[in-house]
Amino acid sequence: MLPKLKVKNLSCSRADNLLFHDLNFEVVAGKNIEIIGSNGSGKTTLLRILLGLINIGEGKLEWLDNEENYNHYRSIDCFYQGHSLGIKNLLSAHENLSLSSYSFGASEEKIAYALDRVGIKNHLSFTSELSVGQKKRISIARWLLKDFGIYFIDEPFSALDDQATSLIIEIIEELNAKGASFVITGHRASDVISNQIFLDHEV
Amino acid sequence: MKSDIYNWFFLILKRDLLIAFRRSSTYITPLIFFLIVVSFFPLALSPDQDFLRSLAPGVIWIAALLSSLLAVETIFSEDFKDGTLDEFFVTNEPSFVLVFAKVLCHWLITGLPILLASAISSIILYLPASSFLPMICSLILGTFFMSLLGAMGAALSLGRSAILSSIIVLPFSIPTLLMGTAVVSSAINNQDYSGFLLIMGAMLAIGIPGLCLLTVEAILLNYE
Amino acid sequence: MSRIWNFIKSWTVEMGSPPLFFQWSSKALPWLAIISIIVFSIGMVWGIFYSPTDYKQGDVYRIIYIHVPSAILGQSILMFMAICGFITVVWRVKISGMLIKSAASIGASFTLIALITGSIWGKPTWGTWWVWDARLTSTLILFFIYTAIIGLHSSLDDKTKADRAISILSLVGIAIIPIIKKSVDWWYTLHQPSTFTLSSAPSMAPDMYQPLLVCVLGFYLIFAFLLTMNLRAEIVFREKNKTWVSKQYLNRQKNDK
Repeated sequence: MLPKLKVKNLSCSRADNLLFHDLNFEVVAGKNIEIIGSNGSGKTTLLRILLGLINIGEGKLEWLDNEENYNHYRSIDCFYQGHSLGIKNLLSAHENLSLSSYSFGASEEKIAYALDRVGIKNHLSFTSELSVGQKKRISIARWLLKDFGIYFIDEPFSALDDQATSLIIEIIEELNAKGASFVITGHRASDVISNQIFLDHEV
Repeated sequence: MKSDIYNWFFLILKRDLLIAFRRSSTYITPLIFFLIVVSFFPLALSPDQDFLRSLAPGVIWIAALLSSLLAVETIFSEDFKDGTLDEFFVTNEPSFVLVFAKVLCHWLITGLPILLASAISSIILYLPASSFLPMICSLILGTFFMSLLGAMGAALSLGRSAILSSIIVLPFSIPTLLMGTAVVSSAINNQDYSGFLLIMGAMLAIGIPGLCLLTVEAILLNYE
Repeated sequence: MSRIWNFIKSWTVEMGSPPLFFQWSSKALPWLAIISIIVFSIGMVWGIFYSPTDYKQGDVYRIIYIHVPSAILGQSILMFMAICGFITVVWRVKISGMLIKSAASIGASFTLIALITGSIWGKPTWGTWWVWDARLTSTLILFFIYTAIIGLHSSLDDKTKADRAISILSLVGIAIIPIIKKSVDWWYTLHQPSTFTLSSAPSMAPDMYQPLLVCVLGFYLIFAFLLTMNLRAEIVFREKNKTWVSKQYLNRQKNDK
């Protein structure tokens, strides 16, 4: 099976500091990549480069397109969740899902299923009334809206209780079984089965 | 899955309008601010009718420019803070459409209240009824252009102080101010004003693609 | 066509690499300084001491030898910045971003000089320091645009980011300058001030005009000189952590000893 995304010799420097260099990895369907590094090691920058928010400095990104060859620009549905959750306080839980940028093609049933799956009972309650943990759950619910190809999640496990952590791992495994891949970042290795890439380097 | 560009446009518009309407201050503030600024002129200068009538075009336009820039930095800053802006940029849909939808939304929640407020101000500043229609036309074109400029200023100063975006934008708004007042004062003096309106329309026609593209570029700056 | 395009691109990228620029500008700088000072002084001395006295305004008019060149520079520097801005936005050439930053303060200064000399000139000729004349007004707006650009740059901490931000702003600026000029002209004719009318400048005598041309050239050269100085300072500041900068300065310190 061809990898969905190939990263070749990727290097990046910010303000004269080399963040990472000669990074090589492949994102294969159903497999995960975990990027591990301390603060300022360039995890977020790497994700943003992969997603085209920042221009590639040196190196190459190759995305698998439909004709089974590699295209320059991404042709796979990507899901991105940054440090902040992407949740609007003035929208209800349901609206946060139906009006998100990922909601295209998601039916009402799917939205309801997703919210139930993460354990949000009252779909119409405003997000401003919910706790941080519940907001986090809503943002996780969005993963289930569509069959995304690759999920790019920036630090999904920061500030979570054990219950939510096991929920995330469960959902990741569930989506892996469908062929989705996860690229996640973190300070230390998590319980997700993945290829680990360490960004920390001796300065 | 490729989706319809119109649906994408309306999705953003619906989302932003919904949020704006749940927080009524977004559309009340420009209205009230406009009326306060306008009412200061008779208080500070003179309540004389003829004097106010000659002052009215300028007063209304200054108030319109200031109040359209009042909440301009919120166009992108909130979405930037809670991460939804990144997500909109990551999808395969064109980011140009995103910016245009956000500008249109900003115009709907500030430009329309400004039109209402200017209608009220034209009464309290004794503007002749014949110049009412040209004033509204010029304000529609002018405030939309201001929203475009404001979006660019907001994108450039994302995460900075709110006043910065106004200072960036205000020098560039001078043609709008001059044309707008020219329309209204020509209408008061029974002169032909269509030329000025056409130029405002031309500025808008160039500004929509040009400024939206530059705004996209300016937003992407903030991710580096 | 594409070959020319590629040539321009590769040339700008190559010459734009900071160490290389620093090298060739070190050699060019003394020459530029000498030439610009010579041309500038010739223009000034010719204009101020050897050009004929105006029959209407007397010797006061001689301020145009500073006023007009700096007004011209104020406008052309913004155009220069917009060209650099285009290069920065499209090709991400690092040095063209620094060029905009270095040019902005010079442009603002020239515009300010034009405004101040204009008002000094205005006092004896119009009897007032300031007139809301079309040309004065659009120069004032030009100055505001420069301040907006400089203000934006200083408020962003990441200087590479700030370079690209002001290149966007200068692109908008160059697009809006003709509109501003035109609209200020209409605004001026619409209001028709009665007290002061600035009659269209009478065609100048050639012996007044020639020194003015030399002055304009001198100002351009001074701009090139100042720009190079500014840019070199900017490069050293930005790349202070790079080895080539420390080498450069260590060598110089050795030579001083």
